Amino acid sequence: MLRFIVRRTLQLVPTLFGLSVLLFFWLRQLPGGPEYALLGEDATAEQRATLRRALGLDDPLIVQYWRFLTRLAEGDLGTSLQTGRPVLDEFALRFPATAELAIAAIVIAVGVGIPLGYLAARRRGGILDSAVVGGSLIGICTPVFFLAFVLKVIFAEHLGWFPSAFRQTPGFSATRVTGFFVLDGLMTREWDSAWDAITHLALPGLALSSIPLAVIVRMTRASVLEVLAEDYVRTAEAKGLHRHVVRTRHVLRNAMLPVTTAIGLQTGALFAGAVLTESVFAFGGIGSFVYAATQTRDYPALLGFILIIACMYVLINLLVDISYSLLDPRVRVS
Amino acid sequence: MPTKAERIDRLAELTAARAEEGRGHGVWREAFDRLRRNPMAMAGAATVLVFVVVAVVGPWLAPYSPVAQNWGDEVFPNQNVFVGPRAENWLGLDNLGRDQFSRMVVGARQTLLVGVVATLLGFSVGALLGGSAGAAHALGRQWGRRLDAVLMRFTDMMLAVPALLLAVSVAALLGPSLATVMIAVGVAQVPIFARLLRGAMIAQAGRDYVLAARALGVRTRRIALVHILPNSLGPVLVQGTLTLATAIIDAAALSYLGLGNPDPSIPEWGTMLADAQRFLAGAPQLAVYPALAIIVTALGFTLLGEAMRESLDPRVRT
Repeated sequence: MLRFIVRRTLQLVPTLFGLSVLLFFWLRQLPGGPEYALLGEDATAEQRATLRRALGLDDPLIVQYWRFLTRLAEGDLGTSLQTGRPVLDEFALRFPATAELAIAAIVIAVGVGIPLGYLAARRRGGILDSAVVGGSLIGICTPVFFLAFVLKVIFAEHLGWFPSAFRQTPGFSATRVTGFFVLDGLMTREWDSAWDAITHLALPGLALSSIPLAVIVRMTRASVLEVLAEDYVRTAEAKGLHRHVVRTRHVLRNAMLPVTTAIGLQTGALFAGAVLTESVFAFGGIGSFVYAATQTRDYPALLGFILIIACMYVLINLLVDISYSLLDPRVRVS
Repeated sequence: MPTKAERIDRLAELTAARAEEGRGHGVWREAFDRLRRNPMAMAGAATVLVFVVVAVVGPWLAPYSPVAQNWGDEVFPNQNVFVGPRAENWLGLDNLGRDQFSRMVVGARQTLLVGVVATLLGFSVGALLGGSAGAAHALGRQWGRRLDAVLMRFTDMMLAVPALLLAVSVAALLGPSLATVMIAVGVAQVPIFARLLRGAMIAQAGRDYVLAARALGVRTRRIALVHILPNSLGPVLVQGTLTLATAIIDAAALSYLGLGNPDPSIPEWGTMLADAQRFLAGAPQLAVYPALAIIVTALGFTLLGEAMRESLDPRVRT
């Protein structure tokens, strides 16, 4: 077991190293340059040159990369050109917003997706099944940002059931502890603050959950169908086990294995989706920042953010992998 | 990035055409017959066909110019004055007083072009990477395994960045244009195609007919190109069909992020949808038409792709 974990972890090293090299050189090739973004179009060539020197942009690329790498080893991801603050700080500042949003989306996707997929598989070919299969296909094919806009117009602007932007009503005085607004509200027992944050999460969370939900529903359904056809399920039923026992211990437990992996893989889609949903709801998380960074050619921030996201994505999947191997001993052998 | 990679490998293994199972006629023929009897596949194929026909004949189908602001004096977005469907403009006017129906019909071509070029790009680069890796792994000796390992670490790297973020970074690198969208969306698909073809080729390499060809002394390169490759294309073709759907959706997302086609003289659904978001409250129809068109088209490709996967391997019926 330990060897499995160590091996899997070591496999990440070349991937992440290569990724840093690739992204570094890649992002350096961006047209224009940060000096245009920082100084605007009106600056003189001299001012630009001074700034380039100050930022070290005139050094050979390999030197710049080495500088980047040594700093990286010290936990310094560079400075955002947009805000002049350390990239890691910028990320940390915005991470709770996106994490909260992603958790909301995953809770919706898992909470709705698994029961729905299971029921669809049990009643294969029925109305519910057709609706689930059709609905999930439409979910996968709908552009996330369009869904976000539609939800916002209908439920926030027309019906007024939910707030249309931000993480908390402006002017709402709440105590900040962790930066996770819902958690803060619960920890400080400011229930109205927690509730306010939850209502702000509802629409963006729903929009963001559309793709993971569709994927999880389909995966659960396919997986349950596969398990239902297994001999051991028939055996369990034949020997007279209670239906409830067969369903939970035999069917659900085995069917959930591939679904766990699917959930892990969706974290990547969540980060990508956050870029699209956060801007619609002015949510102010990582997604909005990545978008702003591409607009202002903020290389260090963009590089840093993508690197952190890739690391997190890879790590989350490593954890999923490990939990998977705990659930299913067969994985460790191969 | 082992998990995602492994899943793609497993998919490749599952859906790889199984050459030895043809009863009298080839697997391809059998798969096609199964496909024809599948109503989902036919619905998907019909949708795709309509889309392609509109894309090809679109400019002749459009009653007006898609870019001329013929009715510019009737629409005032600032004052929330829009013109909905009427006799002369079937889908109404857009925010600049252009005929929405003409824009939709003409836009189909660009949308298809973006999808097809992006998919072909992802497919060809991915197939080159994955094909070399697969052949090297299956037929090469130690150097082959090493080449395979290097190529696969490279694709793992690309897989570690969520596809849309990968596309965003490519698009940011190239600056907004229609070509950028194609390249960015295509690049994001490269690792998936590569991984898929490699997996399918490795699965094929273990089959008896490859052993037979080797025993007969057929040259390695010929085994890879003539025997293994054609039998491994099934899952890649399926993925290609599914990717057409993803490409159209991702292209729309890039347009929304301001990294799409900046040329207003070329109507394209993704850009139209992105532009229409500003008027969603006052004129929802402007966004709904391109959105529906994108959803239906993507659905068509997805249905067709899923049905193809099923027909190539009846075991993975879902």
